[in-house]
Amino acid sequence: MADEDPRVEFRREAEELLARLRGLPDDDTVKAGQDFVKVARSAREFATLSKVAEAVSRQAPKDSTTRRYYAQALIETGHATVAVDVLRPLLKDKNESAEAYGLIGRAYKQIFFDAGDKTSPAARDALKQAIAAYRVPFEASPVRHYWHGVNLTAVVTAARRIGLRVALDLDPSALAKKVITALKKTPPKDRNPWYHASVAEANLALRNWPEVEAHLRRYVRGKGIDAFALGGTLRQFTEVWNLDADPERGRPLVDILRARTMSLPGATLDLSPAEVRRLATAQPPSGQPEAVLGVDGPRTYKWMQIGMTRGQAVGAVRRKSTGGRHGTCFLVKASLLGLENDQLVVLTNHHVVNQDGTGLGIRPSAAEVEFEALANAPRLDVAAVVWSSPQENLDASILRLGSPPVNIDPLAPTAYLPVLGETQQVYIIGYPGGDELAISFQDNQLIDHEGPPSGAPTVPGRVRLHYRTPTKEGSSGSPVFNEDWEVVGLHHFGGKLGVEKLNGKPGIYAANEGIWIQSIVKAPK
Amino acid sequence: MAGHVTFIHGIANKPAAEDLLEIWRHALGEGGSEALRLGTQGVSSSLVYWADVLYAAPDPDVAAHEGVDERTPGAVDGGGEPPLPTPVSAESRAFIESLRARLTDLPDEMLDQEPSADPAAKGLERVPLPWFIKKRIMAAFLRDVHHYLFNVESRPRPNEVYLVQDEIRRRFVARLKATEGGRPHVVVSHSMGTVIAYDCLKRVADCPQIDALVTIGSPLGIDEIQDKLQPEWTRDDGFPREKIAGGWVNVFDRLDVVCGLDPKLANDYERGAKELIDDIEVTNDGAWRHSATKYYRQPTVRGALRRLLGL
Repeated sequence: MADEDPRVEFRREAEELLARLRGLPDDDTVKAGQDFVKVARSAREFATLSKVAEAVSRQAPKDSTTRRYYAQALIETGHATVAVDVLRPLLKDKNESAEAYGLIGRAYKQIFFDAGDKTSPAARDALKQAIAAYRVPFEASPVRHYWHGVNLTAVVTAARRIGLRVALDLDPSALAKKVITALKKTPPKDRNPWYHASVAEANLALRNWPEVEAHLRRYVRGKGIDAFALGGTLRQFTEVWNLDADPERGRPLVDILRARTMSLPGATLDLSPAEVRRLATAQPPSGQPEAVLGVDGPRTYKWMQIGMTRGQAVGAVRRKSTGGRHGTCFLVKASLLGLENDQLVVLTNHHVVNQDGTGLGIRPSAAEVEFEALANAPRLDVAAVVWSSPQENLDASILRLGSPPVNIDPLAPTAYLPVLGETQQVYIIGYPGGDELAISFQDNQLIDHEGPPSGAPTVPGRVRLHYRTPTKEGSSGSPVFNEDWEVVGLHHFGGKLGVEKLNGKPGIYAANEGIWIQSIVKAPK
Repeated sequence: MAGHVTFIHGIANKPAAEDLLEIWRHALGEGGSEALRLGTQGVSSSLVYWADVLYAAPDPDVAAHEGVDERTPGAVDGGGEPPLPTPVSAESRAFIESLRARLTDLPDEMLDQEPSADPAAKGLERVPLPWFIKKRIMAAFLRDVHHYLFNVESRPRPNEVYLVQDEIRRRFVARLKATEGGRPHVVVSHSMGTVIAYDCLKRVADCPQIDALVTIGSPLGIDEIQDKLQPEWTRDDGFPREKIAGGWVNVFDRLDVVCGLDPKLANDYERGAKELIDDIEVTNDGAWRHSATKYYRQPTVRGALRRLLGL
């Protein structure tokens, strides 16, 4: 059922197991804990994994496998240096040492990924350590540890690119060829999607584009290759391989993978405004979308471009005093929101901007709007609140801007809600708060709504939508789009776990909530 | 709500109902131009499923029904190993022979010949597929259509017996009555599904009214089939006026063997001697032009359905 959140069930199970582990556990309980840690890893529930692994480690301190999983969870939750300390003792355990070296390499690679300045001493040292760690298992057994070889090729290439003089005996091309030779020994029946990803990546070092594309195609279509997996590949390609810097084939390849990632459930893509602008019109070399994504490639790519174009009508609401972002808004024709004239207005939440600056909202005079994805985007004053509905009702404010923005196609609301009972994705485009410079494209699954034919709104005239993404919450005031990039809602808030279900269904779950755009259109003005 | 589409499939074995519905929704909504994502546009959809009345188990090769490859009988409306029909009466024997003669002049023992390029040769002979596949298509077409129109007894699994027409009519009517979706309600039918839809709308008293009918790759133009729809069917007044509030769009490909025999329906199903059906010709690709998903990928089909749904 779309509205049952499996994560809630999973965490409940974890709590029960933890209670037993923290009491007087017998061998069976410890074994259950060890098995649970493996399941948690597959489900990518790393916070829960850490808790259970800690409890198991206290009962079974010599269990190296659980320590290794614990270390992976530490890397995934941003504790790379701690992970390295957990992993080092495992290097003496011959059953775990190859994996431990791989994870140490991964931890240092992550530190390099995260470094703001990739040429700083800390970043260079991390890359050096990553090379040293990946090297050991790959040189011991290239066939068995090809994945370490692929990563080694990647980090050595990155090191050469930033002028790091380390492991000078390693040549990326020679490494890549060695990896490919080792990979060819994989029996055909074992050539899973990760095999193809490895061949593709090794061929990047050789700039053998046809091979890269052919193997990426098999990887992308592989079972289990979801938004998360592709997102990881994208990060590797941009931050380690620096493919964005190759305008002829590298950057278009990244664009095509971005398009595919965006179309998968649960995806989040953070792009700079300049990237959004560029992607809206960038054309890959003819044939490349099919080469990488198959017959659907051109359509997926075009669909992404429509999303980028929509992104240009989404604006950041900023506080004039600090210039910091306060929320998101989007451009619509007033007549399409139920007002009587045809001017362009922006829609956002009441708790972002409202007349009196009540609650979390700021006054119009304190706000300005910037359509950051437009070239030379001016900062536009907010002239007035034309209409609003308070947070407990529709949580919406329609704002008139000081001067109308030019060269932007406003967004179009749709009259219809997506059907429930089928898998329907909705997309949110918004500006995350704080210092981030990115515009975020986020993919959610529609879980429920209070609209026709079977909805039961608790407040007359207010139809709410619930949707779910495994990653972060949307930004207040973001437009919510259907799969055809039409606006179905105004994003309202994201609830981690305690959101009451709609339509009288019992219980709570994790859900994001938006207001149906037609509730806003039809509200009396 | 923006409306509802009830699909009904045609001859030969099919995958499980939910898989087939998903493939059909996908074929309308993905790839090509004018993509129509029904669910995204608020249009709910369901399927009248009847393959299990004649076939023992759903086809596990779900991918074959996407209409992309043409290498197996399942991929070209020939799956399920249907036997040739056994006549149940003199009339039924005449029907089978006559219908077979529409598809091919070749006797069984000569069915292994190469495809014919002779424009005078019968449709099935000119389809560029191997005869071991065409034999199965022919068997599926003859058997499924015959068993429906003659209301033959079918025993697809141990302890299950159906009178084919009675059972499928019951399912069609029940599915239409159960629809909670909004209006307009459009029935989209393919192949033998068009015969079932017409039969129920014209000849079953308690069949609910719908707003529009779409027939795709329909054999309703074939004389032998029209004969079996009498007395309710007449050329001058064959249009089901009481049960179709709006339009009827008929889509055909001239090289589609199942409907190519007499593809246009407007002059065979008139209303008060007036032609009301909108006959639309398309050109599908590949060897097997009858494939439902190929029709669904046509911009004209998507456009026509959009129009009927008021989108």
